[in-house]
Amino acid sequence: MAFEPREEQKQLKYQELRIFSDEELHNYTEEELKNFKIKHDIPFCEELEKGRWPSFVADAKREALHRKKLAQDRMMIERDVVEDLLGQLEVSFKHGETHWKHGGIVGVFGYGGGVIGRYSDLQEQFPSIAHFHTMRVNQPASKFYTSDYLRTICDLWEYRGSGMMNMHGSTGDIIFLGTFTEQLEPIFFELGHVLQQDLGGSGSNLRTPSCCIGKARCEWSCIDTQDMCYELTHYYQDELHRPAFPYKFKFKFDGCPNGCVASIARSDMSFIGTWRDEIRIDQEAVKAYMGGEIMPNGGAHSGRDWGQFDIHKEVINLCPTQCMWMEGDKLMIDNKECTRCMHCINVMPRALRPGKDTGVSILLGAKAPILEGAQMALLTIPFMKTDPPYDNIKEKVVEPIWDWWMEEGKNRERLGELIQRQGIPKLIEVLGIPAMPQMVKEPRSNPYIFWKEEDVPGGWKRDIKDYRSRHKR
Amino acid sequence: MDDLKKAILDFAENNKKSKFYFSDMEKAVKVEFPDAKARDVKKAATALVNEEKLIYFSTGSSTMYGLKGRGQTEDH
Ligand code: HEM
Ligand code: HEM
Ligand code: SF4
Ligand code: SF4
Repeated sequence: MAFEPREEQKQLKYQELRIFSDEELHNYTEEELKNFKIKHDIPFCEELEKGRWPSFVADAKREALHRKKLAQDRMMIERDVVEDLLGQLEVSFKHGETHWKHGGIVGVFGYGGGVIGRYSDLQEQFPSIAHFHTMRVNQPASKFYTSDYLRTICDLWEYRGSGMMNMHGSTGDIIFLGTFTEQLEPIFFELGHVLQQDLGGSGSNLRTPSCCIGKARCEWSCIDTQDMCYELTHYYQDELHRPAFPYKFKFKFDGCPNGCVASIARSDMSFIGTWRDEIRIDQEAVKAYMGGEIMPNGGAHSGRDWGQFDIHKEVINLCPTQCMWMEGDKLMIDNKECTRCMHCINVMPRALRPGKDTGVSILLGAKAPILEGAQMALLTIPFMKTDPPYDNIKEKVVEPIWDWWMEEGKNRERLGELIQRQGIPKLIEVLGIPAMPQMVKEPRSNPYIFWKEEDVPGGWKRDIKDYRSRHKR
Repeated sequence: MDDLKKAILDFAENNKKSKFYFSDMEKAVKVEFPDAKARDVKKAATALVNEEKLIYFSTGSSTMYGLKGRGQTEDH
C-alpha cells in the first residue's frame, strides 16, 4: 500500500531556507586548522585525537575554528561555545567528575519532553556553556533524509545552537547538543512551522519510536516497519509529549529477526517481523550455491578465500534447532522446529526466503541497568498479524500494558522490572493470553511460571481416600 | 474536568515537596474521585500546564510535575 502522510508534506528547498552563504560555510583552510589552538589547554582531550580512528575532539576543533571565523552576529549564542565545552570536558577528566547540572524546568510550551535542560556548574570559567540544553528531533522512519533537509537543520543549529549534533542518539532522534533557554522556542517554531518537524520524547514519556530500514530497501522485511513506526508515533502523540508514565517507554520495530535496530535489547516493547508458514526454498538456487555459482552471504565475506562453500558446515550444522537436512541434492527444513533465526536465509538469500504469512512477534521488557540489571526482552506474543492501522496491537497489547504499568509501576520502574516484580502470570493475565512454551527458556530454570488453583483439575484439594486407593502408605 | 483540576491544584499546593511524580498526583486525586482514570487525570494536568498553572520538571530521564511559582522558578 502506498504511503499516506498524515498531513501534506512540503518539499524543503535549501536554497530558500538557508541562513549561511557558501563562503561562510567554507571559511577556513586545512592549513589554518593545523595551526589552530582553542583558547583552553586540553591535553587530556587531545589524547583522544591520537590513533587512526575518527575523534569527536578533532571534529569539535573544526567547528570551533569555523565559528571563530564567522561574524558573531551570525550566531545567536556565543561563538566559543565549542571551546568552552572542550575546556570543561578537560576539567572533568582531571577531576574525574562531571560538571553538568542535571535537569530543570526548561522546555517548549505545552511539551513535557524533547528538551533536556543542562547547565554548567563552572559558569564563571566557561560562560558560553552556562546553558547547554539538548534538543531531541524526531527522526523520520528509517532515517531517510534529503540533503536539503540536512543542510537546513545544520544551518538552523549553527545559527541558534552550538552547531554540534549527534546523528543519532541511541533512542533514534537527531540530537542537537547545547543551546540557551531563549533559543528553544524560536527553534521549535522553525522546526514545527517551517520544516514540519516535531521534537522527540524524553523524560517519563513514550520515547521516539524507531525502526529498521524495512520494506523500503530490505527484501527480508516481514512487516512494513516504517508504516508501523509512523502510525504509532502519530497515534500516541499525547504519550510522546505529555509525561504520565512511571518512567521512559520505548517502541522499536525490526522487520525480521536479524534485528537491525536491536529492538529485542533496546525497547520496552519490541516488534520483530516473522512468518508462521514455511521458509520458501528455491532448490535450483541451493544447487547453485553448492556448486559455487552464487557467492554465499551475498558476497559479504569475499575479501579472503574461504575455500569451497560447504552447505553442511556453513548452514545445516549451524542451524540452532538442527531442523535442516539434505535428501539427495534437495535441502529440507522441518519448519515447525525452525526458530526463525535467519541464519540459513542470510547465508543463501537467493535460495531461501522468509515465508509469506507474515506478522510480528512482540517482546516485552528489555532495558539497560537502572533499578535492576540489564535484560533482554521476554518473548510474550509469538505471532500477531499486522494490518494498518494496527488496532489489534493498540487495543490488545499496547494499551492494556500501559494501563497495568501506570497503575502498578513504581516511580522510575521500567516495564521489565514490573514484570520481574509481579511475575509473568500477572503479565499474561493483563494481556489475556495463555502461558506458552515460547515464554520460558527451558523447563525448570524459569521461576516465573506457576500454576493457579483454577488451572489445575480439582484445584489444590484432593480426596485423600481416592488417593490412598492408588498409593499405599 | 474542573473538579479534577481543582483536586490537582489542592494536592500541589498542600504538598510538602515542590516537585512530585504523576502517580502521586494521580493517587491523591483518586482519594477524592475514586472513579477517575489515569487518562482523565493526565488530561486535567495537561490543561493546567497549558494554563501555566503547572510546570514539568525533567531530569532528562524522568519527569515530575510542579506548581508554577513554587520551589524552583528560575530555569537554574
Ligand atoms: C532411577 C531412578 C530415577 C530416575 C530415572 C529419576 C529421573 C528423574 C527425572 C527425569 C527428573 C526430572 C528432571 C527435570 O525435571 O529436569 C527427576 C526429578 C527429580 N527426582 Fe528423580 N529419578 C530417579 C530417582 C529419584 C529418587 C530415588 C528421588 C528421591 C529420593 C528422586 C527425586 C527427584 C526430585 C526431588 C526431582 C525434582 C528435581 C528438581 O526439581 O530439580 N529421584 N528425576
Ligand atoms: C524448613 C525446611 C525447608 C524449607 C524452608 C524449604 C524451602 C524450599 C524452597 C523455598 C524451595 C523452592 C521452591 C520453589 O521452587 O520456589 C524448595 C524446593 C525444594 N525442596 Fe525444600 N525446604 C525445606 C525442606 C526440605 C526438605 C526436608 C526436603 C527433602 C527431603 C526438601 C526438598 C526440596 C526439593 C526436592 C525442592 C525442589 C522442588 C522442585 O523444584 O520441584 N526441602 N524448598
Ligand atoms: S531487521 Fe531484518 S528487515 Fe530490517 S533491515 Fe535488518 S535484515 Fe532487513
Ligand atoms: S532460520 Fe534458523 S532455525 Fe530456521 S531453518 Fe534456518 S537456520 Fe534453522
